[in-house]
Amino acid sequence: MKEVLISYNTIKETVAKLLNKEWNVITPSPDGIRYTAITSSDEINLAGDQRPTNISVKEFFFPKTDPVFYFKKNQSEVELIDAVLNDKKNLFLGIKPCDAAGIPVLDKIFNWDYKDEFFNSRVNNSVIIGLACSYSDPQCFCTSVNLSPDSTKGSDLFLIPVDNSGFRLQVITEKGSAFLKEFGALEETSGPAHPKNSTVPDKKFDYDKVKNWLDNNFQSDFWKGKGELCLGCAQCAFVCPVCHCFDIIDESCGYECGRRVKNWDACQFGLFTKHASGHNPRNDQSKRYRQRINHKFKYYDDKFGEILCTGCGRCSRDCVAGIDIGEILAEINTF
Amino acid sequence: MDNIYKPFNVKIVDIIEETPDTRTFKLEIIDKLLKDNFTFKAGQFAEYSVYGEGECTFCIASSPTRLDYLECSFKEAGKVTTAMRKLNVGDTMGLRGPYGNYFPLEEMEGKNVLFIAGGIGLAPVRCVIWNVLDLKERFKDITIVYGARSVADLVYKNELESWKQMEGVKTIVTVDPGGETSDWKGEIGFVPAIVEKIAPSGDNTVAIICGPPIMIKYTFPVLEKLGFTEDNMITTLENRMKCGLGKCGRCNVGNVYVCKDGPVFTYKQIKLLPDEF
Repeated sequence: MKEVLISYNTIKETVAKLLNKEWNVITPSPDGIRYTAITSSDEINLAGDQRPTNISVKEFFFPKTDPVFYFKKNQSEVELIDAVLNDKKNLFLGIKPCDAAGIPVLDKIFNWDYKDEFFNSRVNNSVIIGLACSYSDPQCFCTSVNLSPDSTKGSDLFLIPVDNSGFRLQVITEKGSAFLKEFGALEETSGPAHPKNSTVPDKKFDYDKVKNWLDNNFQSDFWKGKGELCLGCAQCAFVCPVCHCFDIIDESCGYECGRRVKNWDACQFGLFTKHASGHNPRNDQSKRYRQRINHKFKYYDDKFGEILCTGCGRCSRDCVAGIDIGEILAEINTF
Repeated sequence: MDNIYKPFNVKIVDIIEETPDTRTFKLEIIDKLLKDNFTFKAGQFAEYSVYGEGECTFCIASSPTRLDYLECSFKEAGKVTTAMRKLNVGDTMGLRGPYGNYFPLEEMEGKNVLFIAGGIGLAPVRCVIWNVLDLKERFKDITIVYGARSVADLVYKNELESWKQMEGVKTIVTVDPGGETSDWKGEIGFVPAIVEKIAPSGDNTVAIICGPPIMIKYTFPVLEKLGFTEDNMITTLENRMKCGLGKCGRCNVGNVYVCKDGPVFTYKQIKLLPDEF
């Protein structure tokens, strides 16, 4: 893997160049809530010890509300107008490994048969620079889902802090290499080994063991206790880097025009699977919670070979009802 | 940019009032090139748009042997279907599709076919019925068992009559106990009970079943007793679907997406699914 040393100042200069060329440059916001676009190179945030943002980076590739087309009515005729996507280039700088890893996971569902070009064009227009993570709290469990604080999955380039002023920059993909060629004048070098991350989260559970239990215990009473805690607010799905369920609805502006949009939705909502006849296959919260765990840790893996979770811990940190998904999986691990 | 969520436009050319709350729309694809190239297989569904109200999932109720028009039948039950009831001949709707898998017509050739349907569930079955009847020489005996809550709730009443007149086709219509009128000449009883009563043999026969989930659940054991094999009992799950493309997650049941791996499933496949449909 090609690797160079890069100083903080070089990164700042590169960002200033990109902003001048009308790129979006997106980093974790200092208040820790979400990723935001910056307007000056003074605002870059490369604090690897920051807690993961409340809201993941997913909203840049799979927005909360995404218009898919517009329509205009004229008597009984209807004209459809394509949604035009912003084709500005994006640099994502300082992305947590548990966020970057979500992009190849989402790629599976958005491209497994029909290709969702809304997702693809945004990914194609983006360069992802991941940042090794030195944060850990009881809700983190990236190491339990085949990831780690220095995982390069989903990143085009990857930064590992060396000391206060510099980083090792690893080139992960062709896209990353092309980006460096265009914007960096860097020397290939070998430098000192980077310090081991002392805050690597311990493994909370053995995934294979958990999956095996899920394969065989759909009807277990275990779900009844867990589901009752859940309020069905779906925050867990919304903050997650890889949850991707959505609704498609029409919004009218008056009688004659409007648009069709994809909106975030979640299997935790009571109406998610309700038929028009009134029949609801998942008619209580326990069944809905069971679906969440089974979809993320069994069905998606069975179908696409990816765990639908990056162990970022966001859902646990922000659950109003205090449900900790890592603790639930650790409990399953004991069976 | 190839937009998988964008429909093409269709015009309503005829509306048939089937029951007080059910209608059939006859639709024509507006773009001539699209219309000439459009094709589908029996069992597939589409997403029908009422622009401004939303999209709704229905099977394509007409047969793929008759491609001048596409038909869908729907019951007024929610937001989009209520809006559909307000549409008139000449209005424009949208359509995305065809999606999903289909009934294995080729494998059914040379066999007897037993159609079992309940209520609005006759719509997807009707597609296969006409597909089979249009190619009648390829199949053996054809039996149709159809039931609804009451006489007023029976759909495709004219077609039920024409099937009754057809040679080589045995048609039995039933209504739930209490749903009969004073001059009702058909059967009275729930569909699974009527199937048990007429007791068709499972030997070299394929059963196509669609109706309310509870009707399907009670019909399978009856057919098993009559000797139908698990591969020869085929149903279509009309789950709540949205994108139709295996992305939005709404129809995910176990390891399958009903919109991609279904909606047509054999009893053998249904038994492998978690009880969530």
